[in-house]
Amino acid sequence: MVTILEARDVNKTYVTARNEQSSILKDINLQLDKGEFVSVMGPSGSGKSTLLYSISGMDQVSGGKVYFGGKEITSCSEKALAQLRLTKMGFIFQHIHLLKNLNILDNIVLSAYLAKSSSREAINRRAVGLMKKVGIEELSGHNITQVSGGQLQRAAICRALINNPDILFGDEPTGALNSRSTQEIMEILADINAAGTTILLVTHDVKVAARSERVLFMVDGRLVANYSLGKYAKGKDDLKQRESKLNQWLGEMGF
Amino acid sequence: MLARMLKNDFLRKKGISVALFIFILLAALLVSSGAKMIMELVGSINYLFSEARTPHFVQMHAGELDREKISRFAKESALVESHQVVEMVNIDGSNIYMGAESEKNSVMDNDFVTQNRDFDFLLNLHSEIIRVGDGEIAVPVYYMQQRNLRLGDKIRIADGTFTKEFTITDFVRDAQMNPSIVHSKRFVVSEGDFQLLRHDTGEREYLIEFRLNDPGAISTFASEYQASDLPKQGPMVDYNLFKMLNALTDGVVAAVIILVSLILNVIAILCIRFTMLATIEEDYREISVMKAIGISQRDIKRLYMMKYVVMAALAGVIGYFLSFIVQRFFMANIMLYMGTAPRTLLQPIVALLFVGVIFAMVVFFCRLVLRRFNHISAVEALRSGNLGETRISRNRLRLSSSRWFSVPVFLGLKDVVQRLKMFRLLLFVFIVSSFIIIVPVNFLNTIQAPSFVSYMGVGQSDIRIDLRHSEDVEERYRELLEYVQADQDAAAYSPLVTSQFKVLNSEGALDNLSVETGDFTIFPLDYTEGAAPNRENELALSYANSKEMGKKTGDTVVLIVNGQKKTMTVSGVYQDVTNGGRTAKALLPYNKEAVLWYVVSLDVKDGVKIADKISEYEQAFYPAKVTDLQGYLHQTLGGTISQLKLVTVLALAIAVCVSILITSLFLKMLISKDNGQIAILRSLGFALSRIKLQYVTMSLTVLVTGILLGTVLSNTVGQMLISGIMSFFGASKIAFIVNPVQAYLLCPVDGHTDDAGKHSIHERIQHIQDDC
Repeated sequence: MVTILEARDVNKTYVTARNEQSSILKDINLQLDKGEFVSVMGPSGSGKSTLLYSISGMDQVSGGKVYFGGKEITSCSEKALAQLRLTKMGFIFQHIHLLKNLNILDNIVLSAYLAKSSSREAINRRAVGLMKKVGIEELSGHNITQVSGGQLQRAAICRALINNPDILFGDEPTGALNSRSTQEIMEILADINAAGTTILLVTHDVKVAARSERVLFMVDGRLVANYSLGKYAKGKDDLKQRESKLNQWLGEMGF
Repeated sequence: MLARMLKNDFLRKKGISVALFIFILLAALLVSSGAKMIMELVGSINYLFSEARTPHFVQMHAGELDREKISRFAKESALVESHQVVEMVNIDGSNIYMGAESEKNSVMDNDFVTQNRDFDFLLNLHSEIIRVGDGEIAVPVYYMQQRNLRLGDKIRIADGTFTKEFTITDFVRDAQMNPSIVHSKRFVVSEGDFQLLRHDTGEREYLIEFRLNDPGAISTFASEYQASDLPKQGPMVDYNLFKMLNALTDGVVAAVIILVSLILNVIAILCIRFTMLATIEEDYREISVMKAIGISQRDIKRLYMMKYVVMAALAGVIGYFLSFIVQRFFMANIMLYMGTAPRTLLQPIVALLFVGVIFAMVVFFCRLVLRRFNHISAVEALRSGNLGETRISRNRLRLSSSRWFSVPVFLGLKDVVQRLKMFRLLLFVFIVSSFIIIVPVNFLNTIQAPSFVSYMGVGQSDIRIDLRHSEDVEERYRELLEYVQADQDAAAYSPLVTSQFKVLNSEGALDNLSVETGDFTIFPLDYTEGAAPNRENELALSYANSKEMGKKTGDTVVLIVNGQKKTMTVSGVYQDVTNGGRTAKALLPYNKEAVLWYVVSLDVKDGVKIADKISEYEQAFYPAKVTDLQGYLHQTLGGTISQLKLVTVLALAIAVCVSILITSLFLKMLISKDNGQIAILRSLGFALSRIKLQYVTMSLTVLVTGILLGTVLSNTVGQMLISGIMSFFGASKIAFIVNPVQAYLLCPVDGHTDDAGKHSIHERIQHIQDDC
C-alpha cells in the first residue's frame, strides 16, 4: 500500500489568554494509505478538528512533521501549501462555507478556474457532471440562500471534488444535517472513496463512521486507539452490523 | 454598564473611532473658526470704517484741479455732509527703496500723503490716527507683510539727484486701499516732507472725497456728481466697493473653510453610517438575544446611538474650544489689516450655533441609519446576517460565464458591483479628492497660460507697451508710434487708446464708459458672443458692462461723441477681468479730452529676441511699462497665481491625506467584515497574493471610477463654479486649459492612496491567516 499522508510526533500548543501553554495535540503518529476511508472520533475538546487542520496544512504544527505524498509539508511556504490545497486536497465543513456572493455553480467551479486545470468550458462540464452525480444539477443557477442545508453540503462536496483531489478532509460534514440527508451524503462519500479518493473524516456520529474502513479514537489530544472495520462494500455489507460493532468498541473505550 | 459597553466598542474599533472623532473635531473646529472669521471680518470692517471715517464717494483725478468749484458743489448739494480734496504725490516704484532693491517690479501705485484733517483717517496698528514728524513715515501694512518691515527700518526715495530717507515709525491701516487687490497704497509723511516730495519728485494726484448725510444715498449722489462739471477722468469708487474689497480675500477664505468643514462632516457621516451598519451586522446575534430577553427596540437603538452622540458632542465641544486657540492664526490677517473690533458675546454664540449644526447633522444621520433597523426583525437579521447596506445584491455577473477575467479580478469586480452601496463612501471620498485637486490645478494652468489674456480683454501679442496718463502723454504717444513704425523688427503693431466717453444709462442719466479704440483685427480677441466692432457705429462690451447695462449683442447704446448723441449697436461681448471688468471697444476716434491710457501691442519678426526688444523700448520710452505677455500676466495676476499655487498644494495635501486615511480605514473594516469569506477562500487554496489581488482590484476599481467621475465633474461643474466666481471679476466663460502631463501625473499621486490600501489589506489578511 502507498502511504498518502503521514504524521510523525506532531504536537500543537496554544498560548492562552493568561499566557499559559495549552497542549492540544500530543505526539500524534498517524499513517493514511491511498484509497483509505478513515474516521476520527472522540469526546468534544479532544483535538479532532485541530488534528485535521494540522495534518492538512491548514494550520501550522508546533512540533513534529507531516508528509503528504512522501513530501514534507510542515516546512512548506504559504504559497506552496495553498497550491497543495488547491490541487491535491478537498475540504468539507460542518458549516457549509460557500461564498455568499456566488451562485451554486460558480462556487463549484471557483477553485478549478483558479487552478486552471483545464479550459473553463471543460470545468463547467465537469461541474455539471458532479452536480448530477450528487443530485443537484437543477440548482446550478441558484443563490446559496435559496437551497436547503443538505443541498448546500452536496454543492460543497462537488466543490471539494472539482480538482480531482487525492484526499478529501471532512470536519463533521453531516453535523448540521438531518438523518436522511446524512445518509445520502455518506452514500455519496462512500462512492467517492470507492472511486479511489482517500477520505479522512472527523465525526461524532457512529452512523457516519460506520462506513469508514478504520476508526481512530482520540482522548485529550492523543490518538489512543485504532479500530479496523474493513472496507465498506455498498449494497453488500450490513451497515447496522458495522454500527453495532463500532458502538461496542466505543463503549469499551468509555465513549 | 453603558459606559463599559461604550468603552468596549471603542476598543474594538479603535482606528475608525479615532478617525471619526478627528473628522468631527476638525469639522467643528473649522466651522467655528469660519463663523468667527466672518463675524470678526464684519465687525472689524465696520470698526475700521467708523474709526477712519471712510468717505462715501471718491473720485480719483490727475491733472489740474479747481478746488473752488468742488467746494461750491459740496455746499450746494443737500446730500453732502463734508468733503475734502486729498493731494497725493505718486512716486514711481523704481524710485522707492525698501532695502537694497527698488520697487521697480511692483504693480502697486505708491502715493505719499499727509494725515487728513476731517475724515478718511489713516490709522496705525492700534487703530489710532497716525501722527508723524519730519523724517518719519508710516508704511502700508501690505508692505510690512510683504517686505517684512519693522519699526525703525529705513525707506529711501531717490529720483535723479533728489534723495530723501525716512524712518518707519508706524504702519498704515487704510480703509480705502488696504487689500492687496487694490493696486494703490498710501504712505503717510509730515507736512514738511510732503512739500519737499511734492516739489522735487513724483506726479500729483488727487482724491476728491465726500461724506454724505445718508450713506444710503450714494447712487443718487453719484448721478448728481456725474451731472456736474467736476473732474471725472479717473476711477470713481464708493463706500460699498471699499467694503466689498476689504471683505473679499478673508471672506473667500472663511467661505472655503466652512465648505471644507462641511465636506469633512459629510465624510464623517458616511463613515459613521458604514461603521454603524457594520457594527450592527457583527452584533446581530447579540441584538436578537437582547430582543429575546425583552429589551425594547428603543433602548437597543439608544445603545448604538450613544457612542456617536457622545463622540460628536465631545468632538464638537473640543473643536469649539480649540477654535479659540487657533483663531489668532485664522484671523491674523484680519487683525493686521483691520484691527480688532470691541468684543461682543455674539461671536462665540454664533460659532457655537454653527458647531451645534454639525452635531445635529451627525445625530440626525445616526437616527436615519437606525430607522432601517425598525424594519428588520431579529429573525431576519439572524438568517441573513446583514442589515441592507453591506448586503450583497443579486446580479447577473457569473464566474461560470466569464471567459477573460482571472478569478481574483472577477471576484473583486463582482464585489464592487454587488456592494455598490457600501462602496459609496470610498467613491465619494475619491470623487471629492480628485475634484479638489483637479479644479485648482486646471484653474492654475488656465490662469498661467498665455491665452488667459483673452479673459483680460487683450489680443495675444509679443510685446505690450503701456503709457499712463501724464501731462505730456500725447507727445510721448506720438513719438512711440513713429518709433514703432520705423522699427524694422516689428512684424505687426496695433495702437489702442482707452478714453472715457459718456453713455446714456437706462434712467436717462450719463455714466462714464472706458472705451478702447483702434483696429481690433490685428490682434484678435475671442468673443463670448458676437464679434469685434468693424463699423463706426458698432461697440463691443465687456461681460461686466453688458450685464450691468443689460445690453446684449444687437442692442443699442447711446454714446456722447464730440457732444453729439451717437447710437451704437452692440457687436459682441468679451471677457475682461482688468479695470474692474468694465470696458468697451469701438472704432471711434478717441476722446482726446479724457484719455485714460495708451497701449501699443507689438509682434516682432522671427529671430528677434523679445527680451532685447523690451529693454530697447523700456530705455527709449521710460517710464512706459513694456512687458511681454507672460510679464503682463504676471504683473497683473502674480499675487493671485502665487495664492492659487498655495491653495493647490494645500488641496493636494488634504485630498491625499483624507484619501489615504479613509481608504485604509475602510479596507481594514471591510476585510475584518469579510473575515469569514477570506477564510473560505484560503481553505480552497487561494494564496494570500490572490486574495490581496481581489481587494486591490476592488479598491482600484473604485479609485479609477472616482478619479474619472471627479475629472468629469471638475471639467463641468468645477469649470462652471470657477466661471461663476470669475463672472464677479468680469470673465463668465472660463474654459479650463488642461495640462495632460499634470493631469496624468496627478492620478498616480492620488493612486498612492492605494498603497495605503494595499498595506492595510496585507496587514489584515495576514491577521486572518493567523486566526484561521
